[in-house]
Amino acid sequence: MKQDFKPNIVGFLCNWCSYAGADLAGSSKLEIKPYLSVIRVMCSSRVNSNLVLNAFLWGADGVLIAGCHPGDCHYEKGNYYVRRRFALLKKILETLDLEPDRLQLSWISASEGKRYAEVVNKFAEDITRLGPSAFHTNPNI
Amino acid sequence: MNEKIGVYVCECGPNISERIDIDRVLEEISSAEGVKVAKKFGLLCSNDGKNYLADEIKKEELTHLVVAACSPREHEQTFMNVCLEAGLNPYLFQLVNIREQCAWMISDKEEATRMAIKYIYAGISRVTLHKPLLKKELDSIPDVLIIGGGISGIEAALCLAGKDRKVYLVEKTESLGGMVKKFFELLPYQGSNLAVIEEKIEQVQNNENVEILTSSEVEDVRGFLGNFEAVIKSKSNGSETKEIKIGAIIVATGFKLFDPKNIPQYGYGKIENVLDALEFEQMSASGKILLKNGNPPKSVALIHCVGRNEKGYCSKVCCLYSIKFARHLQDKLPGIDVSEFYSDLCLPDKADQDYFEEAKKKGIHFIRADNLELKEKDGKINVEYKVAGGKKDSIAVDMAILAPAMVPSEDTSKLAEILNLPLDETGFFKEVHEMLDPISTPIEGVYVSGCALGPKNIPESIIQSQAASGKILSSLIPGKKIEPEVKVSEIREEFCTGCQTCLSVCFYGAISFDEYKGISVVNEAICRGCGSCVGICPSGAIRSKHFTYPQLYLEVLQALR
Amino acid sequence: MKNPNVLVIGSGVAGMEASLILGEAGQKVYLIEKESLIGGQTIKFEEVYPNMECATCMVAPKQQEILQNENIELFLLSEVEQVKGSVGEFKVKIKKKARYVSLVNCIGCGACYEPCPVSLENEFEEGLSKKKAIAVACPGALPNVPAIDPENCLRLNGKKKECQACKEACMFDAINFSEKDEILDLEVGAILIATGFGLLDAKNLPQYGYRKAKNVYTAMEFERLYAANGPTEGKLVLRDGETPKSIAIIHCVGRSEQGYCSGVCCMYSTKFSHFLKHKIPEAKICEFHTDLCIPGKSHQKFYQKILNQGVDFIRFDDIKVEEKNGKMQVIYKNGNGEKDKFIADMIILSPAMIPGGDTESLAKTIGISLDKKGFFSTQSEKLSPVATAVDGIFVAGCAEGPKDIPGSIAQAEAAAGKILSILR
Repeated sequence: MKQDFKPNIVGFLCNWCSYAGADLAGSSKLEIKPYLSVIRVMCSSRVNSNLVLNAFLWGADGVLIAGCHPGDCHYEKGNYYVRRRFALLKKILETLDLEPDRLQLSWISASEGKRYAEVVNKFAEDITRLGPSAFHTNPNI
Repeated sequence: MNEKIGVYVCECGPNISERIDIDRVLEEISSAEGVKVAKKFGLLCSNDGKNYLADEIKKEELTHLVVAACSPREHEQTFMNVCLEAGLNPYLFQLVNIREQCAWMISDKEEATRMAIKYIYAGISRVTLHKPLLKKELDSIPDVLIIGGGISGIEAALCLAGKDRKVYLVEKTESLGGMVKKFFELLPYQGSNLAVIEEKIEQVQNNENVEILTSSEVEDVRGFLGNFEAVIKSKSNGSETKEIKIGAIIVATGFKLFDPKNIPQYGYGKIENVLDALEFEQMSASGKILLKNGNPPKSVALIHCVGRNEKGYCSKVCCLYSIKFARHLQDKLPGIDVSEFYSDLCLPDKADQDYFEEAKKKGIHFIRADNLELKEKDGKINVEYKVAGGKKDSIAVDMAILAPAMVPSEDTSKLAEILNLPLDETGFFKEVHEMLDPISTPIEGVYVSGCALGPKNIPESIIQSQAASGKILSSLIPGKKIEPEVKVSEIREEFCTGCQTCLSVCFYGAISFDEYKGISVVNEAICRGCGSCVGICPSGAIRSKHFTYPQLYLEVLQALR
Repeated sequence: MKNPNVLVIGSGVAGMEASLILGEAGQKVYLIEKESLIGGQTIKFEEVYPNMECATCMVAPKQQEILQNENIELFLLSEVEQVKGSVGEFKVKIKKKARYVSLVNCIGCGACYEPCPVSLENEFEEGLSKKKAIAVACPGALPNVPAIDPENCLRLNGKKKECQACKEACMFDAINFSEKDEILDLEVGAILIATGFGLLDAKNLPQYGYRKAKNVYTAMEFERLYAANGPTEGKLVLRDGETPKSIAIIHCVGRSEQGYCSGVCCMYSTKFSHFLKHKIPEAKICEFHTDLCIPGKSHQKFYQKILNQGVDFIRFDDIKVEEKNGKMQVIYKNGNGEKDKFIADMIILSPAMIPGGDTESLAKTIGISLDKKGFFSTQSEKLSPVATAVDGIFVAGCAEGPKDIPGSIAQAEAAAGKILSILR
């Protein structure tokens, strides 16, 4: 069972740094595991608890939030807000009986194409090891 | 459902077509709800491709457009322009990135195809919820308020004032010129004498497009880029206030000197003939360099870095003006013995080192020292110090001149409050981006130049004023409207509980609180659309246009198919 | 003003900033750049002091804006050949070299690199990596379109006239071997020089052992080593792939020869220590400096932080590098006159910033003067720090003298301000 497990991971990437880093990973033809669906937002601070928790409740096996490195935020401070929110969300996940490791926050800059691929692949591995989430059912849509 | 969505997959030559089974993609998505046509094309960003898309939008009477191709960072604008040209609101379009995200990063064609289908589904779902956003245009006032009548403010006024742009130059004291007017001379590469400064003051006074308001202070400022209102209070006219409307503001309030009394070991204020740099400038300007007893000094110590450790930064200009003092002393009082006590010589301009070398040749002593202490001894000043390696030494002089750190001017924090500008940890105004945008502030249309931002020399202050002028001349063009960001936040009144959390996260001051209604209000002319407020709003009352909850939720749901 | 158009020479941070401001004001801007990409030196830096921001992230949006702004016409691989006339009516001849790759057709897929049979030193990477005769300077270069180096392309230099490996690989008909250099005539009202700087060639100062001792690097080489998109993908390794355990950073290389302090080396050298501490925490690092020049309200704090991390700062009077039995050592006399030495696996030199290579010829072409250090001179005695002696010709950034990024940007904005002020 675990052998065939293809996790569903949602990745929120900020437009200015992390999405650009992902583009660089693409144009450098770096290989990533095909489990992550990218959703572009202007700033990682836009990713609030509802989005993350709903993603989990709808069956996401993992959620990745990626933004500019601290100090690099295009909007000056956005990534600091999401950093605080992230700490809180980890605690909430426990109350939902979800492993906190299913949520990850990473800083990826526009020149870090390689890091993007590494983060995505490492996270995909971690989630595969954790197995399907407690909510892992395909929602009817 | 009346949507007629057109989905176009770009082959990008072999880049997408060889790595993704486009025919399977098309087969799958052509049956998706709302999709009228699903087709592929060789290279959509080419001229042929763009014409083809424009024709398709018109021919198929599309209500929404989805293009599956490369990164939005590459060609979102290209296809938005195609929409505009074809008469479709460009926000009713979604670019789905299947090249960087799928074709180029997933080598298994099957898997790449599966992911591409997911992404395109997400795009189709999302685009049906897109709203046709419209660009807004606002009238703007080209006039400018400059706060501070020193060399920075004067330079900005000269650069900006013109027949279609009025400048209000507000100065707290009775006359223009600021700190620089107190100097006796400038450095050689700054033209040495003060004639240039006098000339600039005269020019600004004779400029009919500059209204000079001396003995005046700014009491209140409201508004945003293009439409500010300011209240100016005049101290001389019986506290009369004046309201002006301007489009932009430059803060050029300069600096003051650190008070050396705060560091007792320099003896300032206690020992006779210990002066600070400004006192020496004025003494030199008067033409009489004399000790308290009326005699000229025979030996002088120049003490650098006074307050540097306490303030935590190097003020950059002190080494140079101390050398200027030394050379001036030698010129005016031949045979005088001058010693400079410094920690590190800071000579960053291309002309500085030559100036220093010349001084050394003229016999000025340069002593690297720390732990300086000034004591009164037999009517003289005894300078005690340690040199490298810890050895103690001392020298007795007639006069000591301290070079204190430059610190923020008196009213910096008051002005910061009025203008809603942040200060940095040194107490100077904080630039919006220290590297990339060194004279802008988080408030669009409000700039800071010169020493109000931190220590700098005269040319640098002038550069910053010209820079602020450049920004204003390009963003506030007389008769031209300004176009604020379209993808901004909006607050849904019925859900806002008035908790004001959003106010604390908005870096740009775009959100205010409506006391009467008890809710927050976004000023769309200021908002930059980052969505920080949306993320933090505990009642979900804030929506960021084009990145709404439903739009993102549909993307999440499709990701989990 | 008769002609409101502006010529901007150089597309580094200064040239880009000025072009964007002028373009936004509705002015037509001709931006000319001698390289095949825009962004200048700044795009070579992974992180910049004092806040360690990613330079690529900062500059990329500006580069995109340059490429998209309708008022900015960009000429790559181009240089100024001739300037005539005066303010308001300059007539300029530009030589635009053939790129051999169409900026319109090419989509930047990179399919053409692999088949090219030529392998060259990559100058952008300070020779630390190889590139093909058809290449972009680095991943993420903008515009993301390669150029063919005609001197090394076997077809263009005539060594193998039938080679068309790249053309065969290109699916977009983007390669055109018959493209020719062009001479273009432009008419502008004002000119801004923003041609940047060069670094003093450390080979000219043999006491530092550069290109003799194995692991002596220049500051720019080290910047590329640290860069995630650089030749080692950000790994700080020696030429043999080993991780350095002791590193010496030598400031003021060429300062006394040039006769000025470059103003930025102390800070970026301190930044290097930060990089090294970050990636090789156990490394022993020693900074050799003369006078520490760290003006700016946040710089001393940064220095203090690095000092507290256990980096040694040694003031030297005299210094040289020697290699004995494969071991490099820095032999120096410290501030107290005592002699000592430091064994180093890696030595990083911070050379003086000098005028860019073509400064002299450009000055001659345009007909303006240089100062005695060889940089473009301004009307500084009239407190007009961006205007040259010729009306309508301005200078910004390191073309005027060594300065940091915000200094260059402010000067560029100032030049744009002066130009807009005279052009209205």
